[in-house]
Amino acid sequence: MSYHDDDQLLADLRKRDPAAFRWVFEAYADKIYRLALSLLENETEADGVVQDTFVKLIEHLDRFEGRSKIGTWLYRVAHNLCYDRLRVRQRDEHWLASNQPDNGDGENIIPATFVDWTNTPDLLVDEQEIQAILVDLIQSLPLKLRAVLLLRDVEGVSTAECAAALNISASSAKVRLHRARLQLREKLSLIMADTLKPEGKTR
Amino acid sequence: MKDLTCEELLHYLSDFIDNQLEEALSEPARHHLATCQNCRVVLDTTQKTIDLVGETIRRSIPAGRRQQLFNDLEQTFLNSEKM
Repeated sequence: MSYHDDDQLLADLRKRDPAAFRWVFEAYADKIYRLALSLLENETEADGVVQDTFVKLIEHLDRFEGRSKIGTWLYRVAHNLCYDRLRVRQRDEHWLASNQPDNGDGENIIPATFVDWTNTPDLLVDEQEIQAILVDLIQSLPLKLRAVLLLRDVEGVSTAECAAALNISASSAKVRLHRARLQLREKLSLIMADTLKPEGKTR
Repeated sequence: MKDLTCEELLHYLSDFIDNQLEEALSEPARHHLATCQNCRVVLDTTQKTIDLVGETIRRSIPAGRRQQLFNDLEQTFLNSEKM
C-alpha cells in the first residue's frame, strides 16, 4: 500500500486504518529522527521528538485542514518541538553560555582551500573516519543552517517544502543551504588537504 | 556571452549544483568552470561534500527502539477517537 495522494492518506488515517498509520510512520519516522538528532545532538531527545510529533499528528487528525502536505506539517511540528526542547535547555541554569548552539544566520564563506580531495583512494583516512569528521563538522554549523542542510541534502525535500516546514522564505532557504554547503566544504577541505597521501599532493 | 567572475560563479554555485540555474546563466557558468581550475575544484568538492553528508547522516532509528516506538504509537493511534 503506497500513498501518493495526501487526501487519501488523511481519509484513511481518520478511519483509523492501521495500514495508513504504518505507512506514514515508515515514510517519516526516520526523517524526523534525523532532523531532531542533528538539532538536539541527543538520541533520547530525538526519540522523544519522534514520539511527540506522531502523537500530535494523531491528536490533530480530525482537525487537519490539509492546507499543507502531511510531510511538510510533520517536519514543521518536529522542528518546533526541537526548538521547544532547546529553549528548555537554555532555562537550565547549569547550561553554560558556551554550550548554547549558534542560532545565527551563518556567514558567506569565501573559499580559500583549493585542494581537490574528491579522489578518495588518494586519502589516508577511510570512510568511517571521514564520516566521524563530518558528523562533528555538521554539529558545528549554526542551527538554522543545519536544519536546511538536513531537509534539502539528506531528506531531498524541495526548496518550497523546506521553506514551508521551517516557516521561512524560499530565498532564505536557498541562502542558508548555500552557506551550509560552503561552510562545510571549507572546513572539510582544510582537514582533507592534510590527509592526502604524498603522491596525491604532487598532482 | 557574458563572462562570469569567480565571485559570481560562487554566488550561483548551489543553484548550478541543483540544476536550478536560469538558462541565461548556465552556459556562462559551464564556460567559467571549464576554464577556471579553482572554481572547478570548489564545485567538485562541494558536490562531494553533499554526497558524503547524505551517506553519513542517513541513519535510522535503532532497530529495537524503532519497533517499540511504532507499537506504542500504533496503540495510541488505534485508541484515539474518530470524530
